[in-house]
Amino acid sequence: MLSFLTPARRGSGLGMAMPALLLLLAFFVIPVAGLLSRSVTEPVTGLQNYETLLGSATYLRIFFNTFLVSGLVTLITALIAFPVAWALAIMPSRVAAVVFAIILLSMWTNLLARTYAWMVLLQQTGLVNRILMAIGIIDQPIQLTNNLIGVTIGMVYIMLPFMILPLYGVIKKIDPAILQAAALCGATKGQALRRVLLPLATPGIASGALMVFVMSLGYFVTPSLLGGTANMMLAELIVQQVQSLLNWGMGGAAAFILLVVTLALYALQLRLFEGKAR
Amino acid sequence: MLMNFDKLGAWRWILSGICALMALFLLLPILFIVALSFGNSRWLIFPPPGWTLKWYGELFADPRWLQAAFTSAKIAVIVMVLSVAIGLMASLALVRGRFRGREVLRGFFLTPMVLPVVIIAVALYAAFLRLGLNGTLVGFVIAHLIVALPFSIITISGALETFDPSIEDAAILCGASPWEARFRVTLPAISHGLFSAAIFSFLISWDEVVLAIFMASPTLQTLPVKVWTTLRQDLTPVIAAASTLLVLLTVVLMIAAALIRKGKSR
Repeated sequence: MLSFLTPARRGSGLGMAMPALLLLLAFFVIPVAGLLSRSVTEPVTGLQNYETLLGSATYLRIFFNTFLVSGLVTLITALIAFPVAWALAIMPSRVAAVVFAIILLSMWTNLLARTYAWMVLLQQTGLVNRILMAIGIIDQPIQLTNNLIGVTIGMVYIMLPFMILPLYGVIKKIDPAILQAAALCGATKGQALRRVLLPLATPGIASGALMVFVMSLGYFVTPSLLGGTANMMLAELIVQQVQSLLNWGMGGAAAFILLVVTLALYALQLRLFEGKAR
Repeated sequence: MLMNFDKLGAWRWILSGICALMALFLLLPILFIVALSFGNSRWLIFPPPGWTLKWYGELFADPRWLQAAFTSAKIAVIVMVLSVAIGLMASLALVRGRFRGREVLRGFFLTPMVLPVVIIAVALYAAFLRLGLNGTLVGFVIAHLIVALPFSIITISGALETFDPSIEDAAILCGASPWEARFRVTLPAISHGLFSAAIFSFLISWDEVVLAIFMASPTLQTLPVKVWTTLRQDLTPVIAAASTLLVLLTVVLMIAAALIRKGKSR
C-alpha cells in the first residue's frame, strides 16, 4: 500500500528512462532509419538498388554464401552442443564447473585474438595441415583459409557457447523422473533418447539454433579475416559498398535486407518460445 | 536413466569424451596463442624452435600499440561509467515505473543487442560524417555506449527485480529522505548488479571491433583496430603477444566477476 504513496516511487517514472531513450533515438533509430532511406533515394529515387541486389548472380552468390555458412554453422554447433549440454547437465558439478569456466573464457576472449589463432592454425604450413598430413589423411597441405571452410570452422568456434548455454538451461530443467519412467516402461536407452529426451530438449535446440543462425547472418569480422574477398558474406558486402565504393544506396539496401531477415527470425523466436514459457 | 550420470553405462564415456573434446577445442587455440607469443619463430612454426620475449619487446617498443591501448582503456572507462549510470536510471524506470508502454520500452532498449552490429556501425558512420564525430573520442564513446547499454539494463534490472522496494519504504519510514534511502539502501543492495554491468560494459567497449573500425581515424584508434589493421597485413607474432595480454585481462576480469557473484550469494 505504501509503495505507491512514497516519493521514492514517484521519481522513477518515465523521466528516468529519458537519457537512454534520447541516446537511442538520436544515435540509433535516426541513423539506422537514415541509412535505410538512402537505399531507395540514392543515386535516384526508386527500388533499383534492390533490383540490382536480387537480380545479379554476383550478389545472389553472396546471399547464398551467407545462408550456407550460417546454416552449416548452426547445424554443426547443434550437433556438438546437444551431447555437451546433456553431459554438463548430469555431470558431477565440480567437473561441469571446469567446462563452464573454459566456455566462458573462450566466449570472453577477444574476438580478434580467437580469429587470429585460427588464421595461424589453418594456414598452409599451419598446425592443422601438419597434423592431417602426419596421420596420413592428406598428402599435401589443403587450402583452409580464404575460403568458406575457414569461415565455417572459425564461426563454429565462436558460436558454440551460444548454443551450449541455452540448451544446457533447457536440459537441466528436465525432470529425471520422466526418463526414469521411460526406463521403467521398458524403453531402451536409444528409445528414451529419441522419444523422450530429444523432444523435451527441442525448444532449447530450436532457440539456440535460431540465435546462432541470426548472429551468423550478420557476422563481419571472422568471415572477412578467414574468408577473403572472393567469398564474401552479407555483412562484408555492406561494408564494402559503403567504405570502398561509397555506394550508400546499395549498402543501405543490403543492410535493409539483413535487418528484415534478422528481425523476422527474432519475431519467430519470440512467438515460438515466449508463448510457451507463459 | 538418461539423466543420471552413474546409470548411463557405456554412454557415460561417450558423453564425457565429446564434452572433453569440445572443451579442448575451445581451450587449445587460446593456449596456442599464448605459446606462440613466447616462441621465437617469426613464421609461427609450432612447436617453436626456441623461446623468447622479443615480441613483447616489439609490442612495448612501438608507441602506436601503447597509444591504442591507452585510447581503448580511456574509452572503455567512460563507456563503463555512462553505461552503468544511464542503465541504472533506465532500469529504475523499467522495474518500478508505472507508465503505459513499459514492456515496449524494454523491448526497444534491447534492440541494439539484436541488430547486427555492422548495420549500427555503417548507420552511425554516416550520421557522424555529418556531425563531424568520426575519429573523435566522443564518437567512439557514443558508438560503444549504444551496444553496451542493453547489457547494462538487463543486468541492473535483473538485480532490481530481486530487491524488495518495501525495504526502501522501511528506510523512509525510519526517517531517511527518499534520495538517502535510494543511495544508502537500494544502491548497496543491488551493487553486485552494478559491478557486473560495469565489467560487462567495460569488456564490450574494450573488445569491440566493428564499430571501432568505422569510428577510427589515423590519429585515433583503439587496440582492436590496431590488431585488425596489423592482421590484414601479416600474421606477425606481435599480435600473439598483444592477444596474450588481452587474454590475461579477460581472465582477471572473469575472476573479479566470479568473486562478485560469490559475494552476492553469501
